[in-house]
Amino acid sequence: MTGSTTPIYRPKPAFDLLRVPGLGRLLRWRWGRLVFQLPLAVVAAVMIYDGLTGPKLAPQNLATVAAWVHYRGLVVLALLLAGNLFCMSCPFTLPRTLARRLSGHGRRWPMALRNKWLAIALFVGLLFLYEALDLWASPWLTAWLIVAYFAAAFVFEALFAESPFCKYLCPIGTFNFVGSTISPLQITSRDTQVCRTCVGKECVNGSAQVLGCGTELFVPQMRSNMDCVLCLDCVRACPHDNVALAARKPLAELTIAAWPRRWDVALLALVFAFTALGNAFGMVPPVYALESALARWLGTTNETLILALIFGVIYVALPVLAGVGAAWLSQRLAGAGSLRVVLARYAPAVVPLGFAVWFAHYWFHFASGALTIIPVLQSFLIDHGVTLLGAKPNWRLGAILPADALFLLEMGSVLIGFIASLAVLRRIADNTHEDGRMATRAMAPWLALLALIAVLAVALFTLPMEMRGMMAG
Amino acid sequence: MTSKKQLRRSFILLILALGLALTLSACQRASQQIDTGASSGIAMTLAVNPDPATVGQAQVTVTINDASGQPVSGAAVAIKGDMSHAGMMPVLADATEDGAGVYRTDLEWTMAGDWIVTVTATLADGQTVEQQFDLSVAQ
Ligand code: SF4
Ligand code: SF4
Ligand SMILES: [Cu+2]
Repeated sequence: MTGSTTPIYRPKPAFDLLRVPGLGRLLRWRWGRLVFQLPLAVVAAVMIYDGLTGPKLAPQNLATVAAWVHYRGLVVLALLLAGNLFCMSCPFTLPRTLARRLSGHGRRWPMALRNKWLAIALFVGLLFLYEALDLWASPWLTAWLIVAYFAAAFVFEALFAESPFCKYLCPIGTFNFVGSTISPLQITSRDTQVCRTCVGKECVNGSAQVLGCGTELFVPQMRSNMDCVLCLDCVRACPHDNVALAARKPLAELTIAAWPRRWDVALLALVFAFTALGNAFGMVPPVYALESALARWLGTTNETLILALIFGVIYVALPVLAGVGAAWLSQRLAGAGSLRVVLARYAPAVVPLGFAVWFAHYWFHFASGALTIIPVLQSFLIDHGVTLLGAKPNWRLGAILPADALFLLEMGSVLIGFIASLAVLRRIADNTHEDGRMATRAMAPWLALLALIAVLAVALFTLPMEMRGMMAG
Repeated sequence: MTSKKQLRRSFILLILALGLALTLSACQRASQQIDTGASSGIAMTLAVNPDPATVGQAQVTVTINDASGQPVSGAAVAIKGDMSHAGMMPVLADATEDGAGVYRTDLEWTMAGDWIVTVTATLADGQTVEQQFDLSVAQ
């Protein structure tokens, strides 16, 4: 606290993770982020090493097991229970943390690219590569993917003044940004009055010793987790110790028009929901039937082409058509703004359901295979002469949930996501239209879209999953 | 704060790191260097019943012949089925000899999809031969 401001009334946020004894101090500490980044950097290094030199079978390699089973399962759990904890501990941004600024006078990210279009393209592109190259079946490619992440984050961090990689490019970040809009924690100012009289605005500008927000968010104006990597640089930069990582009302962000009303941001939310369906669709029997039907119909055996067609439709064409279509209908039925405005207003409503579908799919893999990492680690250590975890790998370890419990979890997750999306939709419509009948008409097309996504998701999770792909032979 | 020189230095570091990764990808750990029996002329075949394979109980038969086509008896034959996806428990079984050079065991295909069956035979003379077979299991 400074002498210049003596607040009479200083409301404290309900719960502030940064004030939790012990943990709060650690998080606020100048090198606090390293405590989380360094262990993950070691894990990434081991994954790269095993991916490049170890077993070629995905279930036996640390790279594939840790990336496609553990990383994905834990990242959605963290988003659900706390926030964007992966970005907080992201090893790819280590150079920034260590150097505190690689190129202080780097150029600025081009104006024309200051939007989510590239991020959407790279996110969809990575998910497409995942199918086309069967990334999940290849330790070698998975290792190179991690290397590519390190290299790309490093290059863009070095060349540009801010952190364009996280905000405008990184597919992991893009997923986490959308996912974190349902998270219970958010960066906010403890007392807006202090910010109003603050001269330096160090949280965003930085100072001689500390960096400001790398993704250029301004704490007192933040109403969304979008673009926040939880680096906590703002916390360390604020000279008034006025930044909190506080609990917020569940789903509130999605109902208060917190996002910029832009095409790119709105369509990102829809892409997030449809990629969730598509990524799960990629591993059920109908996709193979569809592939061979398309192959016959087009008279081609080019698998990349066929996959590009299938996933181009699911990841790009469908979200655009469904989103713009629902917005157009909603506008026809109840007015209230241009097509862009109506789309941007209701797009957040698909996020809870989209997240639920991602969660259900990732937890299918995590809950059915979390313990397989133990024998994989055992055999990795044995290969290097370390018998700390036993002299023989125990290949009988696998699931952490029985199959029926897992099925319940998948169905429950979709159901809760659907209900949450409905609640958000209702709230948005009620906030827009005073007349209840108008509100109902405005939300009707979106209700249909949500129901469609939910039904497709239930159908997907009822089908038996098949693990197919490139034969390692 | 940071000069051009430092920037150049970081890029050299990056190139070095990428070079290290490239070098790594060219090596293989000792346990991954397997003897497929090609040099000694040992040949293995794998048969499954039912064929084509479906989810559920199955019988697997491995036959081992030496370079002159004679059956190889007295080997210890271990079978391991892996799926192509990470996070899937392998299926393990030891086959027992059922006629000269013919080894059989029952096991269960736990899920539909692509399987890679690894057969490891430890011959009577101590030589270990390992071969992989691709298998597609239907629902
Ligand atoms: S958070 Fe801190 S640095 Fe940022 S405006 Fe408020 S008081 Fe100033
Ligand atoms: S607001 Fe910016 S500086 Fe603060 S934690 Fe989020 S990304 Fe980091
Ligand atoms: Cu899957």
